[in-house]
Amino acid sequence: MGEENPIIQTRGLTRDFKKNRAVDSLDLSIRRGELFGLVGPDGAGKTTTLRLLAGLLNVNAGEAIVAGFDLKTQAEAIKPHVGYMAQQFSLYAELSVLENLQFFAEVYDVRPADLAARTERLLSFAGLTEFKDRRAAHLSGGMQKKLALACTLVHQPEILLLDEPTTGVDPISRREFWDILTGLYLDGTTILVSTPYMDEADRCSWVGLMYAGRMVICDTPQRIRDRLESEVIELFPRDWQAVQGFAASLPGVREVQTYGEAIHLLVDSGKKRLPEIESALKQHKIGYRSARIAPARMEEAFISLIRGMEG
Amino acid sequence: MSLRHILAVTRKEFHHIFRDRSTLVLVLLTPTLLLLLMAYALTVDIKHVPIAVLDYDRSPTSTTFVQQITAGEDLDIYTYATSMSEVESLLMRGKIKAALIISPGFGRDLLNLKGIPIQVIIDGTEPESGNFAVDHIARRAEEFVNQALASQMQAMGLQLESLQPLDLRVRTWYNPDLKPRNDLIPGLISMVLGLPALSVALTLAHEREHGTLEQLMATPIGRAELLLGKMIPYIIVGLINVIAIPALAGAWFHVPFNGNFLLFFGLSAIFLFAILSMGIIVGVFMRTQAAALALSFLVVFFPGFFLTGIFFPLASMPEEMRMEALMLPGTHYAVITRGVYLPGVGLDVLWPYAVMLIFLGVVFTGVAALFFRKKLG
Repeated sequence: MGEENPIIQTRGLTRDFKKNRAVDSLDLSIRRGELFGLVGPDGAGKTTTLRLLAGLLNVNAGEAIVAGFDLKTQAEAIKPHVGYMAQQFSLYAELSVLENLQFFAEVYDVRPADLAARTERLLSFAGLTEFKDRRAAHLSGGMQKKLALACTLVHQPEILLLDEPTTGVDPISRREFWDILTGLYLDGTTILVSTPYMDEADRCSWVGLMYAGRMVICDTPQRIRDRLESEVIELFPRDWQAVQGFAASLPGVREVQTYGEAIHLLVDSGKKRLPEIESALKQHKIGYRSARIAPARMEEAFISLIRGMEG
Repeated sequence: MSLRHILAVTRKEFHHIFRDRSTLVLVLLTPTLLLLLMAYALTVDIKHVPIAVLDYDRSPTSTTFVQQITAGEDLDIYTYATSMSEVESLLMRGKIKAALIISPGFGRDLLNLKGIPIQVIIDGTEPESGNFAVDHIARRAEEFVNQALASQMQAMGLQLESLQPLDLRVRTWYNPDLKPRNDLIPGLISMVLGLPALSVALTLAHEREHGTLEQLMATPIGRAELLLGKMIPYIIVGLINVIAIPALAGAWFHVPFNGNFLLFFGLSAIFLFAILSMGIIVGVFMRTQAAALALSFLVVFFPGFFLTGIFFPLASMPEEMRMEALMLPGTHYAVITRGVYLPGVGLDVLWPYAVMLIFLGVVFTGVAALFFRKKLG
């Protein structure tokens, strides 16, 4: 990542739909070779940003350079350099796995001499070799995503734009998918991926948090976690609803977040507050399985940040 | 323009047509079914019209007359009525479509050359059957009179040739059997062969609905490449129908094909290009398949009924409607089909229509490519 001039750069990028401003003066700079995770709540403008960068939407204001081309005037010139994967499944259901790959290879002008070797390599890479004659409609959700990824890779693009590629995919396929992405990242492909999963954001080299069409934070996962100045105490109480009722009013507790049966209390100092909290639980006669100081994760950091913005 | 891109889209579209059963039925079978349906619905042969006979004469002549008139399958005698009020009641109840009333003295007057004193009453609420009965009775009555006169003259010792009774004959050109189907079917063929335009209008909307268009827009494929690639398979499938449908019309309806089939085939390919580019325009502007279907019915199919001159002659249309009709590929193709079908007309007559079809196809495809943006919303 020594190279300083970014492969994707936007300045004041804005896109309006009928009633709302989906992307609002977005400044984004992604260096070549980065694995950039775009996170944010639903409706934050992640999909619109990716569609804009893929040249699929007209820009209302601002500027963007993608792979050295101006997005506003040279959108078609950008396309051979970019692989775009939409959020919904968007391959041809009635075509087989191989036919889908071949179709996109031809549309992306892959040299006929390279075509056979290229598709074979992508099939094995996506673990789809034995399914190559199966119709895309009959693949599992995870395999469909991997096929879609293979199709966006068929012309060996410099940039990958992936819109929530693992949404609705089982955990094992999700992990396999990210292993593939990490491999591509290590090979030097620039990847911009949007995701609703914070554990996925943790695997990125750089993370941007969007909120209401704007980029709120853009930094490495480590530094974003560090911004969370609180420490985390994780509780597994017998009655978490009762804990929720009084925990926020305890001294030193800044925020209460629930994760299934677990309650995370964001506190000023874990060491100091853990004994206080345990005695408060005893006082309220609430049993608990465990109470410990846990490492802060991306998830606590983002929820805290978004809550701060929602005021 | 990359031929490879066009062919890639064409191949993909072929897979779509042949693997998706509903599309296959829509493109391959609907034209045939529609032709059968319309040919039967629009050309009903009238037979077995029920009539009543009220014979006041009751002479041997009148009995023979009634026998001759009701011979064959055209008219059936429902009953021999005995009074006018009975005839009226039968008509009111819809039991008969017409009544033949023979005046007293029918036999005598006929032989005295005083005319034929008969009266035909028809049910005006269903004029088709009634008029048919009147025509039929009039024709048979004329024959009957001629025969009666001839036999009387022979009895009087006169030569038959010397006194030829009135004989008016209408000679029909091009359709000597005067079968309405022979006239109608080539027109219908021009209409049903345009049906693939519906499918091609649906295919763009289908891709929009399924998100595949979004994926395509992210690729470097050209707009015209995509549209042409989509049209080619439908032209080819349409040409299968260009062979199948006249074969069916010949085998099933005995409509003779008198022209040059190769010429018809070539001109049909041009027509398909023109009508499909109209379908493509619909697909470019409509977001959903339902909307695309509705609009293509409105601009491709219904005008085919009313504006292309198949049922209503162009000459009888107001000026502005005629202009609109001339912008429809179907109008020109209807002339081509009818021309090449019946009298065996060649390219020397049909070339202006062919030129017009090419012109419309190029303009429509150009408009479609111009308005088709590789952008979402």
